[in-house]
Amino acid sequence: MALRLGIGQYLPGSSPIHRLDPRVKVTGALALMVSVFFITGPLQLVLGYACVLALVAAAGVPVSRLVESIRPIVIVLALLAVFNLLFIRTGDELWRWGALSVTTDGLRVAVIFSLRLVIAVIASSLMLLTTTPTQLTDAFDAGLAPLSRLGLPGHELAMVFSLMLRFIPTIADEAQAILDAQTLRGAPLSDGSPARRLKAVAPMLIALLASSIHHANGLSRALDARCYAGGATRSHWHPLRMRRSDWLALLAVAAYVVALVGLGQLR
Amino acid sequence: MKPAPVTHDPLARIAHATLLYEGGVRALNDVSLTLRRGERVCVLGPNGSGKSTLAGVLAGLLAPDEGTVALAGERVLDDGRVDVEAYRRARRSLGLVFQNPDDQIVTSVVEEDVAFGPENLGVPSEEIGRRVARELHRVAMEDYAQADPTRLSGGQKQRVAIAGALAMEPALLVLDEPGALLDVRGRRSILKVMDRLRETGTTIVHITHFMEEALAADRVIVMLHGRIALEGAPREVFARQEELRALGLREPWTARLATRLSELGVDVTWTCDDDSLLADLARMSRSLSCTMPPPPQASCDFAAEKTDPVIALDGVSFSYRDASQGSRPALDDVTLAFARGRTTAVIGQTGSGKSTLLRLLCSLERPDAGRIVIDGIDTADRSRRRELLSRLGYVMQRPERQLFAETVLEDVSFGPRNLGLDTTEARRRAEGALEQVGLAELAASSPFELSGGQQRMCAIAGVLAMRPAILIMDEPTAGLDPHSRERIMSILRELNRRGVTVVQVTHSREIAVRADEVVVLDQSRVMMHGSPREVFSYQNEALLRESGLGIPTSMLWARRLREEGVSCADGPLTMDELARSVACGLGRAARPRGVEKGGER
Repeated sequence: MALRLGIGQYLPGSSPIHRLDPRVKVTGALALMVSVFFITGPLQLVLGYACVLALVAAAGVPVSRLVESIRPIVIVLALLAVFNLLFIRTGDELWRWGALSVTTDGLRVAVIFSLRLVIAVIASSLMLLTTTPTQLTDAFDAGLAPLSRLGLPGHELAMVFSLMLRFIPTIADEAQAILDAQTLRGAPLSDGSPARRLKAVAPMLIALLASSIHHANGLSRALDARCYAGGATRSHWHPLRMRRSDWLALLAVAAYVVALVGLGQLR
Repeated sequence: MKPAPVTHDPLARIAHATLLYEGGVRALNDVSLTLRRGERVCVLGPNGSGKSTLAGVLAGLLAPDEGTVALAGERVLDDGRVDVEAYRRARRSLGLVFQNPDDQIVTSVVEEDVAFGPENLGVPSEEIGRRVARELHRVAMEDYAQADPTRLSGGQKQRVAIAGALAMEPALLVLDEPGALLDVRGRRSILKVMDRLRETGTTIVHITHFMEEALAADRVIVMLHGRIALEGAPREVFARQEELRALGLREPWTARLATRLSELGVDVTWTCDDDSLLADLARMSRSLSCTMPPPPQASCDFAAEKTDPVIALDGVSFSYRDASQGSRPALDDVTLAFARGRTTAVIGQTGSGKSTLLRLLCSLERPDAGRIVIDGIDTADRSRRRELLSRLGYVMQRPERQLFAETVLEDVSFGPRNLGLDTTEARRRAEGALEQVGLAELAASSPFELSGGQQRMCAIAGVLAMRPAILIMDEPTAGLDPHSRERIMSILRELNRRGVTVVQVTHSREIAVRADEVVVLDQSRVMMHGSPREVFSYQNEALLRESGLGIPTSMLWARRLREEGVSCADGPLTMDELARSVACGLGRAARPRGVEKGGER
């Protein structure tokens, strides 16, 4: 239970964001994520935050839920920020203590680089929170269709991705259970020297691998029983259809990206 | 396909099918079987008898190596020759639901999972919507249409899996032990769904370890070593007691009661029908001219002294830190004591906090408030953790998941070696433990080659080899056949006799009544704690039922018997107690036969 991850945790709802075509959501999220690399100044940062926070509000996702799903990555980003702050030596020195120093460049990089990445994290988790795995699969399926035309397994890749989302919590629970059981059989997983611990990981990984294979066998049986045979003959309960709102959303994303990049040129 | 001579229009026909697994194991050995449309067939048999293989063949997922198979009007296997296209066509009319619901759900939203099958069949989208709504309603899961399946209980997940199969509108639905991993309430809900299916005319093949569930079937098939050992209407099959017992199976409850009564000299006609046994006894009771003295209460009430608690919980509260699961505590102000050398059964429905309690006892979690002292050691005391763990043995749910080593012996000696014992001593202990669970001759095999039941035993041996003074088990018998269940129970009795304190979570009332003490958890709190006789009383019936448990069958029977004027014990916890008191009331108790606490009676 402790290992549960925030990925693939769809939050049911009927907001305008939920109702968007998943292809639009995936494209939009990707655009938003890539566009953060154009952010170099505070003005752009403000624009970026205004945009994602507006999206969060429109999606009706509770802030607590959002924070929960992005927290682990944000902590990593915060650590990176501290490193940047202390180890970038260019620019004017603002403060110094022994070997440590903070410079204007360091400060700028630490603040802006970290904050802009948070925008990307929010955008991606907003997409995962408002899109069901099936919709995601359909979207990836559509996106990977060119691959299928080249004879590559586009649809199958999308399906594998969707199953991965579905099984992460199951395997995580399993890992926790095995970890607990072996700890109680005296495996030095949480104490002892690093070498001993490393050695103790092997039994746990083998057991996890074996039980994952077991799950995989069960899953393949289930897929066969439900007549899954790849993409060609499938129908869709909710076929993807671009509506006016979807085109408008795409247009809005494009406008945002242009504005963001333009703002960068102004300086 | 040409219609078979015996029945017109059979749904499935298997003739002389033999299926070999790697290593030459005959999973099916010359099996012939015909399923009529609309029939409900129940398949019984011990673990490893070929039931699941038969299920796979009927669901069109496994092709036998020899023989002829026709499924849903397609001749898929003709004298050992597989017709892949025919299999593909046939599978569209066949559905399968199996043990572990986690493996059968392929998406993260309930309704989309139900839609998955119809989508694969290319059903038009409006029709999919209709089917999803209809099937979710049928399995009473419409309120969870948008839910994330990983957050549902086992019974709910299994109902979603059934809805997913039904949405494909199969002519034949194969259910391979759908209730094996579920609690009483979950299993009951599955049976209810199966009863409803009968109206739709779906043919059902139901594989189970629970004999009582077979009574509702039109036909029962008993498998052994890949062959059909017995076949017929439930009444006919269960009447062949000697053969059943030789196959390691038990008759349904009522039939066993009838058998036991006639052993005790009560002249009842053998039956598996409640009403006819009841009528029989009522008639006999009326024909008694004088009233008999009331039967003596069985003296199972041990002294209430609570000596020397080996585990003491004092005001323990705990909640998981996971915002999405809400802030309701998993355990709320629990104060409990477990006496040394006693066996305690912890019961309660899914989500009542049972598994959390075990995790806290094993110091896998530390309480948010209150303290737990085990054998004088506070579980929150990190410095004495090793010392604490050396006294505890923990068998988790489905413990076979933790097997890892190359040989059974190596796996079992993992614990002793971690205790710092030298190789010889670790080996000695491991061999002892394997002897105890009956796997001694398989010590050199790979644990992954064992059958499911043997793997469970191997994992349990791994814990026993550490010689724990306190054994904590989470549903050790779930998913096993009656024979293996009985084996685990007798191992536990033996350990307890040697002074090991046993705490086990169970869904089985049969196991709970045989413990020294019973703890009932409900909504994160202790609802009751006492001897089985104190907990399982008529006064507590409503409470127990509310928490998804209910009272033992023997007590329900005693009440009905009394209503019919048959004199019997007031609250018999076991069938044996009930049978003896009935025999005594009818004046037939002179012949003492059988041993009290011996078997599962």
